[in-house]
Amino acid sequence: MVFPSNQPLLELYHLGRDYGTVKALADITLTLPPGRIGLLGPNGAGKSTLLKILLGWLPPSRGTGRFMNVELTAPPAIRRQLRHLVGFMPEADAIIPGLSGVEYVAFAGELCGLPRRHALRRAHEILNFLDMDEARYRPVETYSSGMRQRVKLAQALVHDPLVLLLDEPTAGLDPAGREALLQLLERIASEYDKSIILSTHLLADVERICDHVVVLAAGRVRAAGQVEQLKDPRGSRYQLQISGNDTLFAQQLQLHHVAILDQRENGTWRVVAPADWTPQRFFAVAYQSQAIIHRLVPDEETLEELFLRMISFNNMDDDAKLGNHALPLGESG
Amino acid sequence: MKGMNTQLSLKYSPWQEKTSRPYTAIAAIGRISLLLICRQRLFWGLLALAMLAFFFFLYGQYLMVWINLQFAHETVRIAGFSVNISQLLRFLDRLALQGTAHTYANFIWFQGYILVILLCFSGSHLFGNDIIYNTMIFYYSKPISPWYYFCGKCLAIIFLIVMTTFIPATILWFEAGLLLDGLTYYTQNYLVLLGIAGYSALIALTLSLLTATTAMIFQRTAPMVLAWMGLFVLLRMMANWLAMTTQEGDWRLLDFWNNLYLCGLWCFGIDHATIRPIPQPHYNNAFLVVFLIITLCILYICKQTRLEIYR
Repeated sequence: MVFPSNQPLLELYHLGRDYGTVKALADITLTLPPGRIGLLGPNGAGKSTLLKILLGWLPPSRGTGRFMNVELTAPPAIRRQLRHLVGFMPEADAIIPGLSGVEYVAFAGELCGLPRRHALRRAHEILNFLDMDEARYRPVETYSSGMRQRVKLAQALVHDPLVLLLDEPTAGLDPAGREALLQLLERIASEYDKSIILSTHLLADVERICDHVVVLAAGRVRAAGQVEQLKDPRGSRYQLQISGNDTLFAQQLQLHHVAILDQRENGTWRVVAPADWTPQRFFAVAYQSQAIIHRLVPDEETLEELFLRMISFNNMDDDAKLGNHALPLGESG
Repeated sequence: MKGMNTQLSLKYSPWQEKTSRPYTAIAAIGRISLLLICRQRLFWGLLALAMLAFFFFLYGQYLMVWINLQFAHETVRIAGFSVNISQLLRFLDRLALQGTAHTYANFIWFQGYILVILLCFSGSHLFGNDIIYNTMIFYYSKPISPWYYFCGKCLAIIFLIVMTTFIPATILWFEAGLLLDGLTYYTQNYLVLLGIAGYSALIALTLSLLTATTAMIFQRTAPMVLAWMGLFVLLRMMANWLAMTTQEGDWRLLDFWNNLYLCGLWCFGIDHATIRPIPQPHYNNAFLVVFLIITLCILYICKQTRLEIYR
């Protein structure tokens, strides 16, 4: 099965999935190009259901869609073919107690159709790549959280998939472990040209490695697009880092009708300027008040703020409030 | 995450060769499942116990022939008592150690005691652990059908059953030929070998499905042992008591192992009237119960497969 890289990774048209009377996915229309995509949403947003549909575990209840050129409404045998192209790293442990790390990864390779000898060779290769030295010969049930995450990533990568589906990959990791895993994912995506679909509720992870984001809430897409495009530029809000006579600088700014929102001890200020204000005028004010501006940047909305803003809408009738952020990614990006 | 933030110099190469057909995963799953069982010390203990029954029959057959040839009409002293050899032979006759169809049917019956414990242990390891550790997600995320997963696991169970029933029984059949009439025995009793295969196949199919089903329900070894004790010991005692009290053979249908035994005897072509203890249910009824159990197991596994996806 071959997937041309110039085609969209995922196209969904009014896709929905019900569990009895519960609508896990209500109506999703979305086009995503290959790349690093973050799937954000609170619990019960429909992230897991969407991943199950992408993995071919569940057919949609309504609507259509294509994932890597495979119809999501196709018979199960055809949908299963998708898993040759996809590596899935589940949130749950999903280990086989009694097997060593290398046996576990080689077994994953065999299940994906790799001959036994090649599967073992690739298992060693990928575990080297993930920097698992002698630990690979230990039973997987004795691994720490970080090592379990790595071995789960290894089993997802062993058959050289084009797309990695990662379900909460940094859950349960300490900050150093989280940072290391994110570095590794960035490297896999950039150096080996793998697309990543990262389902998480940790916004910082998405902000760190994803270039696109889809915000889901109550089974609907609240926002989808490039991370930078989705963030509200907030017009005339700025972040400053200053030193020197900050008291005088604050008085001068107030005289020019610049409101100070936040003033931290390290000299970082968040301010709102009048509509006709230009950034150059900060330097003029600083010169007059004997202060030094070390850093001046527009104050962008954080992904967390974006997320909270998006999920605060209760239903799709609020699309008007969302403006063009609710556009499918292909159109907005 | 030791060392992962250091610069990684090693790479991994793309896979560009053809992949095998998905059903080849059945063999891989079966192999890994057996590996997991073989790594448990308890398994080797149980296997050793299973082999005891085999060696008892193996040497019992030899002893029978040897006694018949050497001391058929003599009296020997055992533990200070004079025992007439013909009396000893009558006692051994009850075990039917003459290489007849009853010999192998009895052997498989006796193996059943240790086999059920072995299967409880294996089932909880193969199926129970997969549920406890959420390993089903691992399997289902690969390009294989859920049925390949079950077939692979059942293949491992079937291997264990074959190893403890069919293979030893076949060795006993060959031994009987060597001890008795040589080629004449083999030519006259080739249908017995088919009977061994049929009985073993039936046990393998039924018990592998039953193991999968009960392991998915109970998951851990101890509750599974209790459930199987209820099924194979408690129901058996109850069935025996009811059959003896009412003289109605159909009560023995509650005894699942007896049903399998009856189906096995049918495979050997044994006359229903020679089956002991009496009364016994008819072959057809025993087959019906076994078929019902197989169907229920398959339905449960189908349902559970879907539920695991929804979880």
